[in-house]
Amino acid sequence: MVNIRDNIKGGALTETTFLILLALYKPNHGYGIMQFIEEATNGRVVLGAGTLYGAINTLLMKKWIAPFGEETESRKKEYLITDIGKQMARKEINRMAEVLRLASTIIGGEKSK
Amino acid sequence: MSRTVFRYFFDFLDGQEKWLNSMAARGYRLKKCGKLSYTFEECMPNKYEYAIEFVGDKSYSKAREYRDFLESLGYRSFTKNINLNFSYGKLRWRPYAKGMGQIAASPGGFNRELLILEKTRDGKPFDLHTDICDKLRIYRSVRRAYAWAVLLMFGLTAVTFIPNASSASADTIWGIRAVVLILGVLFAVPAAKYTTLVSRLRKESRVFE
Repeated sequence: MVNIRDNIKGGALTETTFLILLALYKPNHGYGIMQFIEEATNGRVVLGAGTLYGAINTLLMKKWIAPFGEETESRKKEYLITDIGKQMARKEINRMAEVLRLASTIIGGEKSK
Repeated sequence: MSRTVFRYFFDFLDGQEKWLNSMAARGYRLKKCGKLSYTFEECMPNKYEYAIEFVGDKSYSKAREYRDFLESLGYRSFTKNINLNFSYGKLRWRPYAKGMGQIAASPGGFNRELLILEKTRDGKPFDLHTDICDKLRIYRSVRRAYAWAVLLMFGLTAVTFIPNASSASADTIWGIRAVVLILGVLFAVPAAKYTTLVSRLRKESRVFE
């Protein structure tokens, strides 16, 4: 396994990655992830099926998410975030908080809508 | 009432997608497709929407897995050929593919380089790839397929200049050269288009994700 990219300093998660991680704090399948993200962002982010598929596979390979439960004919494949995944999500929150702090000091406290 | 149309797309991704969507807008729903043929049945205009996915760089099992995933999202799917293969017997070499995807058997992944996906129109765009990084990946693999086709056509032209290699008459050889060169140019047009797209996306990707 190549882990070099994990060590990029200050690397931000892509929005796709981060939202998928958030969608998987509860077990969810592909379609559920798409719906969760669309609803959570009020339709701002609508993931394409191909992008979602690629991201799921990458996250599985990195072991940030794992298959959940048994897959049967009638039930779709479900996934759940792993401890590593949660750790990465937490790191991302810290990074975002830092950026937000910096931006607020410079631009001012006003919240844009 | 069904209707069969014969068509070949040099621009197998966008060109084919636009055409299928224009057929759907006029009330034709894809029923099945052959190598060069499309059979439609009548439906309500604008009821369905189509998107084309390139899977020719994937091995047969990977492409199959991907297709199952897409069907689990509720899309209907068809497989389609692109006729950009170099063949020997039942095995095809796809130089543009990755890993095991390079060798395609028939029956198998060969002639199933594309997935045609259908969904019921719901007002949301039917985009399969939504972030720049993923778009770059797919357009790069499409460009690679075209680049190989162009290369092969010019390669074939070069072969015809080997002296005494064939007993065909000069006229026949010039005929072959003309056909191959025209094909090369026809493949070069989409190759150039996807190259432009890739470089534009690459610039975008420095700012956006």
